[in-house]
Amino acid sequence: MKYRVLALACSALLLSAGETVAEVPSVIAIRGARIVTVSGPVIARGAVILRDGLIEAVGDAQPPPGAWIIDGEGLTVYPGLLDALSTLGLPDTPSLNGTGRPNATRPQGAPPAVPRGPEDRPLNTSYLRAADELSPTDRRLEAARNAGFTGAVTFPTQGVFAGLGAVIDLAGKRPGQMVVQSPAGLYLTTHSGGFGSGYPSSLMGVIAYIRQIYLDAGQYKTAKAIYAAHPKGLKRPGYDKWLEGVLEAPRVLLPARDPKEMERMLRLGEELNLKVLLYGLAEGFRAPEILKNRNAQVLVNLRWPEKPRAADPEAEETLRDLETRDLAPSTPAALVKAGVKFAFYAGALEKPSDVAPAIRRAMNAGLSHDNAVRALTLNVAELYGVSDRLGSVEKGKIANLVVTRGDLFRDKTEVKYVFVDGIKYEPAAEAPAPAPEVTR
Amino acid sequence: MKPVALWIAAAAALYAASDDSFLIRGAAVYPVAAPGIENASLLVLDGRVAEVGAKVAAPRGVRVIDGKGLRVYPGMIDSATEVGISEIGAVGVTNDVRELGDFKPQLRAGIAVNPSSEHIPVIRANGITAAMAIPDGGVIAGQASLMRLDGWTWEEMAVKLDAALHLNFPTITTRRFPAGAAPFSEAKRDYERRLKQLDEYLEQARRYRTAKKAGGPDFRTDLHFEAMLPVLEGKVPLMVSAVREREIKAALEWAEKQKLRLVLSEVRKPGAMLAELKAKQIPVILGPTQDLPLDHDDPYDAAFTLPAELYKAGVKFAFGSFGNQFSRNLPYQAATAVAFGLPYDEGLKSVTLYPAGIWGVSAEMGSIEKGKWADLMVTDGDPLEVRTQVRRLFIKGKEVDLESKHTRLYKRYLARP
Repeated sequence: MKYRVLALACSALLLSAGETVAEVPSVIAIRGARIVTVSGPVIARGAVILRDGLIEAVGDAQPPPGAWIIDGEGLTVYPGLLDALSTLGLPDTPSLNGTGRPNATRPQGAPPAVPRGPEDRPLNTSYLRAADELSPTDRRLEAARNAGFTGAVTFPTQGVFAGLGAVIDLAGKRPGQMVVQSPAGLYLTTHSGGFGSGYPSSLMGVIAYIRQIYLDAGQYKTAKAIYAAHPKGLKRPGYDKWLEGVLEAPRVLLPARDPKEMERMLRLGEELNLKVLLYGLAEGFRAPEILKNRNAQVLVNLRWPEKPRAADPEAEETLRDLETRDLAPSTPAALVKAGVKFAFYAGALEKPSDVAPAIRRAMNAGLSHDNAVRALTLNVAELYGVSDRLGSVEKGKIANLVVTRGDLFRDKTEVKYVFVDGIKYEPAAEAPAPAPEVTR
Repeated sequence: MKPVALWIAAAAALYAASDDSFLIRGAAVYPVAAPGIENASLLVLDGRVAEVGAKVAAPRGVRVIDGKGLRVYPGMIDSATEVGISEIGAVGVTNDVRELGDFKPQLRAGIAVNPSSEHIPVIRANGITAAMAIPDGGVIAGQASLMRLDGWTWEEMAVKLDAALHLNFPTITTRRFPAGAAPFSEAKRDYERRLKQLDEYLEQARRYRTAKKAGGPDFRTDLHFEAMLPVLEGKVPLMVSAVREREIKAALEWAEKQKLRLVLSEVRKPGAMLAELKAKQIPVILGPTQDLPLDHDDPYDAAFTLPAELYKAGVKFAFGSFGNQFSRNLPYQAATAVAFGLPYDEGLKSVTLYPAGIWGVSAEMGSIEKGKWADLMVTDGDPLEVRTQVRRLFIKGKEVDLESKHTRLYKRYLARP
């Protein structure tokens, strides 16, 4: 008992390192604030009432007696930001910018060292569930909250079939409290093992492998259904854990950087009858019509292409690379113009505070502020099918809010409060990032 | 007068039996070193050019070849190949290009050349009579040998076994095999380390030379350093591949510091170093000039126009095919260069006279001149024209069969029912 108290005290200390966590009043009312609902018109002055982790009322409502009142004078309430593709809450997963620790141990029952074909299921950890691996003590959660994020769609990232993601809230006492929706989708990459690591070792091999896995999964599903209907007298189909996650995924995330890849992946998705979210899209500005024509839904990487840091200073860069670096931030505006639905993801950025400058670049390239907010809130929720719970300031939705002084993404904007599941977090004035070691 | 006549009479019997003496009559002769002569005669005695002119009398007994409608040119020299030391790239045992080890100046590519290589007749059929066989691998790869493309053994083929020493001069390489890139700083450190290694090797070679001069009972002959002596004395040039300006600059500065003679190869983007190359009289072996551009945004004809740029800058150059079977395209490398601005005569010289000069054998080959070996191609047209056929080929005055694997296959499939 004593130890448990100590542990709780420690975790409280950890959480309070750079921000203040409010005691939990069951009712909170933010009064007199400007409310950007995203789902409806902006309310110039109104109240938002939060009860038991949900939004109870928005607009003219009077704070109920006993409510914890927050003076919203001069503040703006937004729905909490959602990162559409990240590794938040998964401290052991290499992040999307290629940093971080790879899994030290090979998962149990993993395929043999040098796979010879699709039957060995190489680079397939589709059975991994982000929801099962969550850690509320991931230090990055606080930095994300400080930047206005309250939720994320978080994924295992390794391999071709990396694993099943989950829509999560960026706070919670226990991992299970963080999960909003699982599985949210299956994250695929085209990273082959590389030369000498066996099948698949080329892009062509990876695509063939993806096809084969879906063919196998289809066959597996049919076999299971037949067996389930008439188990007597039938040889049972073997359990294939590498296909279970594939079958379960409600949607598939496929990488596409340039028009050729966009076309290729959309065709693959159509061929395999998948619900596809394309991610990446650095060169989406070149051919947004491809996306429009095929009714694509896309996730745009907020890490705009950069000059390679340690490159040979005399190496000649291609005009295409220079152009991409210059024009990639115009992709969001081009997508809006073409009528393509998209959301942003920040998972490849080094730190959440890089989000605002990245958004500003997209706005300088023609994206409206409204659309920028939408691409980090309601659009994320809609693309993942959770817009009934997240993504806007609406009655009945989860009480995930960000309250700022000044417009979101502006240079001097201050994030005053963040609410996750109705619990208030206050970023420290000087948010230390990363959080310092407090207790040991 | 009389002794001469006697001598000729005595010789006549000899020539009649020998196969390296003949007279071509009524052909257009293009000596390359001098203007072409229409309707001329060319006398070859004992494998060497004896006389060229409008009227040359055939010594009695000498075979006479009717050259009507034909042209005679010196045979072409390919300045960079793996001919005879690599047969099929994908079949390991047929490749003798790379030896193990970093420093192996004592290796002579020429003695590894297989005289029965299937590539040799194929190449010859396009008028190429000599080629540099270049070893590779390590830092000092070995001696590149100039080989005549006819002979029963390598000894018969060898023109100059130590025509050059092939050095893989270190470069700053950020690309990593099979993929990815190293940070520039790391690549640079690696480069500096390798350069230091090379400098130390040369220093050792110099100490060896000093020790050898001093003699003494402790002196022991070392074949590695023995092979370095002619290089240190400037008798044998170093063949160094340097593609871009930075690499050329580094190689030139290094060679100047080390007081060594250079022949650059595979130059693609010399940039500001063109003037340097001219000033220091450093010859260049141009790589496959029918290549695609080096960098993504280069003009499509970057490789085609490079020879003309070098010519305008006054840099001496010759063509190399850097292959084995594709050595047969050597005349078309020159032809493409001519189509893209190189004067015609320069194009022809870049595959004949200039390589002979660069490899130090211009007294022996490279043009049709009295006293030089009769390495000749007899064509039905301009050799820089694709449709032109080589009708006859002579190496050291001996007629060489133009049959090759290509012609054999051609006949075989032509006869298919």
